[in-house]
Amino acid sequence: MAELTDLQPQPAAAERAPVSRAMRIWQAVFIIVPLLFVGLLAFRLWDTNTTEHRASGLAPEFTFTTFDGETISSADLLGKGVVLNFWASWCDPCREEATLLEMTWRREKDNGIIFIGLDYLDQEPAALAYLAEFDVTYPNGPDLQSRAARRYGIKGVPETFFIAPTGEIVGTVIGPIVSQRQLDEYLDRIRP
Amino acid sequence: MIYNVGYLILVTALLLTVYGMVTGFLGGARRSAQLAAATENAVYAVGGLVLLAACILWYGLLTDQFQLSYVWNHSERALPTFYKFAALWGGQAGSLLFWSLILSLFSVVVAVTHRHDLQLLMPYVHAVMHASKLFFLVLLVFAANPFAQVAFVPEDGRGLNPLLQNYWMVLHPVALYLGYVGLAVPFAFAVAALLSKKLDTEWMRATRRWVLIPWMFLSVGIIMGSNWAYMELGWGGYWAWDPVENASFLPWLTATAFLHSIIIQEQRGILKVWNMVLIWLTYFLVILGTFTTRSGIIESVHSFARSEIGPYFLVFLSIVLFGFLWLLFKRLSLLKDEQSIDSYASREAAFMANNWIFTAIAFATLWGTFFPMFSEIFAGDRISVAAPFFNKVNGPLFLILFVLMGAGPLLGWRHTSVAAFRKQFTWPLVAAVVVAAGASFTTRNVYAIVGLAICAFVTATIVQEYVRGVIARRITNRESIPVAMGNLLRRNGRRYGGYLVHLGMVFIAVAVIGNEFYQETTNVTLARGEGVTIGGYELVYVELRAQEGPNRIEFATPLMVYNASNGRFLGTVEPHRNIYHKTPEMPTSEVGLRMTLAEDVYVVLNGWENMGATATFTIHINPLTAWMWIGGLVLVLGTLVAIWPHPARRLEPVPVTVSAGVGARPA
Repeated sequence: MAELTDLQPQPAAAERAPVSRAMRIWQAVFIIVPLLFVGLLAFRLWDTNTTEHRASGLAPEFTFTTFDGETISSADLLGKGVVLNFWASWCDPCREEATLLEMTWRREKDNGIIFIGLDYLDQEPAALAYLAEFDVTYPNGPDLQSRAARRYGIKGVPETFFIAPTGEIVGTVIGPIVSQRQLDEYLDRIRP
Repeated sequence: MIYNVGYLILVTALLLTVYGMVTGFLGGARRSAQLAAATENAVYAVGGLVLLAACILWYGLLTDQFQLSYVWNHSERALPTFYKFAALWGGQAGSLLFWSLILSLFSVVVAVTHRHDLQLLMPYVHAVMHASKLFFLVLLVFAANPFAQVAFVPEDGRGLNPLLQNYWMVLHPVALYLGYVGLAVPFAFAVAALLSKKLDTEWMRATRRWVLIPWMFLSVGIIMGSNWAYMELGWGGYWAWDPVENASFLPWLTATAFLHSIIIQEQRGILKVWNMVLIWLTYFLVILGTFTTRSGIIESVHSFARSEIGPYFLVFLSIVLFGFLWLLFKRLSLLKDEQSIDSYASREAAFMANNWIFTAIAFATLWGTFFPMFSEIFAGDRISVAAPFFNKVNGPLFLILFVLMGAGPLLGWRHTSVAAFRKQFTWPLVAAVVVAAGASFTTRNVYAIVGLAICAFVTATIVQEYVRGVIARRITNRESIPVAMGNLLRRNGRRYGGYLVHLGMVFIAVAVIGNEFYQETTNVTLARGEGVTIGGYELVYVELRAQEGPNRIEFATPLMVYNASNGRFLGTVEPHRNIYHKTPEMPTSEVGLRMTLAEDVYVVLNGWENMGATATFTIHINPLTAWMWIGGLVLVLGTLVAIWPHPARRLEPVPVTVSAGVGARPA
């Protein structure tokens, strides 16, 4: 845009058509470039706002592929109560709740409740070792590029979201879940 | 109850801005004195109402009215009163109210200042200011109500963000807002000039001051922000090219370019369209910066809580962008240049090069700021460009800019003769060579040597100008040196104040070079009584102390600083780590600092073990950093000299051009 100064017309000698061709091109550039920019901003804002379902209480969408190769999308889970747990193998507090989560999953899996584990910023071998160590059987997969983590705006790991069958987030636990009672209280709120 | 009234006050103010907008535009178009008076009165009324609304929120903050959602989320009982007061701009809704307040007050000051002049322009100016206020009031009324209440009365608030609990952080947003918001005024003048077709240099001269004042606040705000980052964030630096920092820096660049190119328009009648474009870009960047930091579309260390205001901003941004462009295109035929540039060895050519470089820096910065967003949209992957990109691109551009800063004012208008070249450039070039030779003993880095040489060159040109000015006054008016100096600043403040601002920039550049190329750093773990040697200092760790603050626990670890070569005791530094009761997961650090003109000893407490039996520190020796803050002060001083009304012309409504041939320098 710096070159705009070039379009300063030459001194009076230059005869001027109403609007010169060069001028028209410059005008077009000045309109199209900001237009594109605003368009991108708008797209980005819309994209971010879908993330912001959280603010209004709706669970943001996510899709991931489990370590077993199965693809799971949040849309498929509507109608079930979802416990969405962000964890990582390097995260010590995650270990405190791992057994509790797995035991409860085994108890509740036939009651219309599903547990999902998303592995945050991790390496696959370490993650698989962690899952084997705690004998985790509910669907787990890597959160590629931290997409879901960003959409859910997690504060750290572990963090657990309780999503009602309607797709609303009814509870969030930042840090490990400490007791069966605490977990049950949340589960009662997301039963279908 | 009173808070419902607060909300009603905002609604009333909103309606009044609509009224002011309509009467302003109509009054300007019909040249009706009655309508012009109506829009002006609306300015005062809105100013009063918004002030009242702000006072109500302040009252709520200071008296712990936690039923207000804003107070609950951004304050607490134990918060020191000073920070309760500052919590007004600590969160989204409150800071928008604060923004509206400053905008309304600016509008009032403009109305009072120009009560009796520029009568064709003023109704339009008021109308545009009303439009800006309208936007922020719409946000407050429909999207971010600061008086929203929660259904119950909470026991205590959740506390203010600990990072904001620092006095620099209290002042920095105020200065920044004064700068940011103030830039709405020149935009209003530009629109008014285009609408009224009064496109002579009169509005430009009136605008200059309205750019300089916000420019000064913006500069101060940026420097205070750096100071805060330096003292509080504890990574040893002052500037990280973070999106929010860039957001404040971008309009500063275009506003600075404008302050220079406006002089060419005044003196030579050229660059009229370009000046309009610069004002447009500046205001656009202000709104863009506010939008990006508040809508969450770019991630940054100091993002506000995300909220619903994004779409509103996008609409306003589009109106500013395309409305102004449309108007500018319609008026293009009235903005013909009166002359052209004669020679590249002229002051106007140097100023034009300066404008290109400022614009180039602005675009590089804009690109780097938005690149992560673009890359995520197009490639699906978020690629951040970090400080190295900005330093690599902007570093050399700034070097050229500094050369122009020294050379530009020495060139003549239209053309510079060889004799004049010799007369003007001999001493500054000698100074540059001497300093370059000296610097080459301290470092092998070419950038550092060239940078220091350029700083010497610019300083020499400024000193030379002052010396010549004083000598001339001594000869013609027989004044003593201090009197001649005072008169120089008083009678030609634009020029000599501008030189002071340049000197301030040189000081800042010296500090940047010192930190960039001469910094020394070490990480150590020390046991009690153990010491470490770095950069000619020996630092000995004394002990860990804990003390209870009003809303936090402060851990302090004093270290004694000795001169390593002769063992002389120089003083103690005391890095802190504060843990806030309400947000224990977010400890803040306060660095221990021993500042001298030559260098800073800068110590960060990273952690400790066994009740302070050992503690881990990061220690930086930062050369010349103090000059950054001194440079900031000189810059403010220079701007004040440049805006101070001329003694002989104080009574005249419109100052006439500065003496011919001399050419005024702005800040």
